[in-house]
Amino acid sequence: MSELRKDLISGRWVIIATERSKRPDDFRPSGATSPAPEAPGFCPFCEGSETKTPPEVYALRAPGTPPDSPGWTVRVVPNKFPALTPGPPPPRASRGVYQSMEGRGVHEVVIENPDHALELGDLPAGHIRDVLRVFQLRIKAIERELHYQYVQIFKNKGKEAGASLSHPHSQIVATPIVPKRVKEEIYGADHLYRTFKECSFCRILREEEAAGSRIIAKNPEFTAFAPYASRFPFEMTVMPKRHSAFFTDVREDELGPLAEILKDVLTRLKKTVNDPPFNMVLHQAPNPSLSAKDWPELHLKSHWHFEIIPILTKVAGFEWGTGFYINPVPPETGAEFLRQS
Amino acid sequence: MKKKILVVEDEKTLCLLYEEELSREGYDITAVTDAEAALARLAQESFDLIVTDIRMPGKNGIELITQIMGLRKDIPIIINSAYQSYKEDFMTWAADAYVVKSSSLDELKSKIKQLLGD
Repeated sequence: MSELRKDLISGRWVIIATERSKRPDDFRPSGATSPAPEAPGFCPFCEGSETKTPPEVYALRAPGTPPDSPGWTVRVVPNKFPALTPGPPPPRASRGVYQSMEGRGVHEVVIENPDHALELGDLPAGHIRDVLRVFQLRIKAIERELHYQYVQIFKNKGKEAGASLSHPHSQIVATPIVPKRVKEEIYGADHLYRTFKECSFCRILREEEAAGSRIIAKNPEFTAFAPYASRFPFEMTVMPKRHSAFFTDVREDELGPLAEILKDVLTRLKKTVNDPPFNMVLHQAPNPSLSAKDWPELHLKSHWHFEIIPILTKVAGFEWGTGFYINPVPPETGAEFLRQS
Repeated sequence: MKKKILVVEDEKTLCLLYEEELSREGYDITAVTDAEAALARLAQESFDLIVTDIRMPGKNGIELITQIMGLRKDIPIIINSAYQSYKEDFMTWAADAYVVKSSSLDELKSKIKQLLGD
């Protein structure tokens, strides 16, 4: 029989379809992972193509190498053809009952390494740590200089996950409003804080550690687990054990262990389900200067984490209509396969 | 000497319009209706700038500019598409500008002048 599970924070229900439970082999695409379609010709993110991108806003590069030239290890550039353009946060306009505003925002691309074929999980942990540090630096700069309310960091890997280019990269999009899904998480965490008298994410982490069946990997600073109400097969959450609302609060000595656990779980995912497409999304509290004003004590209630969602099933009519998801792999089963890999 | 522009556009009426309007600006225009014809012309002669549509029969404009980048990277390229949505494809970064088609060619002409340093 299937089981309905409720996600604690969002209140979203998921159908765990245990009677049609699948094994990792059921999701393996036939043949090898699809090759990079653009590899034979040209890639704007490869070393040597720097003139084809807008001028870099930040780069880790060899001493003495000028900006926008080869010699970098991590490079951040603005989107060349952005949907949102930087500028002061715009006022809202009304058209009858409808609201709108100018399309202001920041859209940057973090090119994670110069090598076209080397995915994030394939990089040495030290290089992943550098990428994470660059995320922190850009979040701080965007929040401080441009006053955007929310900075979203995400990675689309593979065409089915929305990547138009296979060269490993992440994206940073900052918006002048706090997105609805982020607000839902804040409201859920706020409500639970009053019930539990503590951060609900810290509580989840404690329960997961006690149960153990959904744990995928851990180290003294971080835990990776399959969420109790996972929407998707082999879905993973990577969460810090030390309570912290903002990703920018991750200390220098914590970046290494974070890089190590990310490398670990991405490698496990690659081995278990044959290098699937995935989305990796950072969840964190809005711009600290704004959240302190609009959501008092949010720093106590919100808890940053990464969500990794392999794209192995399709979101279709039922999910769009109801907000329910059907997951054919119980998270305990998925976690067990990932642990064993 | 007139600067040479290669226009790749599958709609013949638009080809004629571009030829007429851009010639009036003082450019030498060669218009072709598909990517293969564009690659053939590029193999025969050199151009100062390329303007290409994306949605075309056969090889699309993104495949065309990717192939051109594999041959030579120094020709300025303008994508001229009716669709904004292709901006989400990072391979469009091979182009130097992205101009959405409109009834006026002012933006296209302005980008051409800017890229050719006129």
